Amino acid sequence: MANAVSLKVSLPKIPDIELVAIEGLDRLARHLGIAEGKIGEAKIIVTEAVINALEHAGDKSPGVRVEFTMTTKELVIFVRDYGDGFVPASVPDPDITAKLGDKNKRGWGLKLMKSLSDDFRIESDKGGTRITIKKLLV
Amino acid sequence: MEQPFSLRTELRDNRLIITTSGYINNVGGEAIGAEFRGHFDAGIREVVINLADSRVVNSVGMSFLIEIIEQLEETGGRLVFTNLDPAVEKMLTIMGLFKFAGKEKTVDEAVQVLSRRA
Repeated sequence: MANAVSLKVSLPKIPDIELVAIEGLDRLARHLGIAEGKIGEAKIIVTEAVINALEHAGDKSPGVRVEFTMTTKELVIFVRDYGDGFVPASVPDPDITAKLGDKNKRGWGLKLMKSLSDDFRIESDKGGTRITIKKLLV
Repeated sequence: MEQPFSLRTELRDNRLIITTSGYINNVGGEAIGAEFRGHFDAGIREVVINLADSRVVNSVGMSFLIEIIEQLEETGGRLVFTNLDPAVEKMLTIMGLFKFAGKEKTVDEAVQVLSRRA
């Protein structure tokens, strides 16, 4: 991408480490003069991607890798964990009406990432999960 | 960097106002839930959650708020969110929370809306 700024970071599995990722994202976005609303939505995407990845990273290699590439027009987010993987199609789409009365109130991460992004790709196998998200910033 | 989570509460005409500050993750969500339960057990059924100083939240933290909505729904109560950051508002919209909870710009407006229910 022309005039892109990028950031690559490996995050260990410690509480609230996702805040480090969104702090980095915030710095890049402000450097490029990205609109506040777009930054806020991108922060939610990254927060959900990182906490999901850390949860599924397992114990063998519990950290996650996060990469941002940003221009004034778009942001590409790549998040990778080294867990056992999962079948994305097997994850049910959460519904608030069903969640009321259900013991499990969680499971919103994928829905939020998909809804707030302009392109969402997920690959998962026994070597881990790789999520690539594109968000338009204009 | 986002500040550590904290909350403060106020009772106004038998309505609970919870004002949060900082990142609402699982710990923050659980703290809101625990605070709510104490007041719910004492009979409070109308709640305002003021997120003016919580600009970063995650869905695990928000899942604890679904528990609050559930308990209020079952007992004819009502939850109203106020001072939402636009991105947080969009997140809660995607999750469908406003099908069962209200949103207002300010705490005073939320209290007025709740008082009209009586």
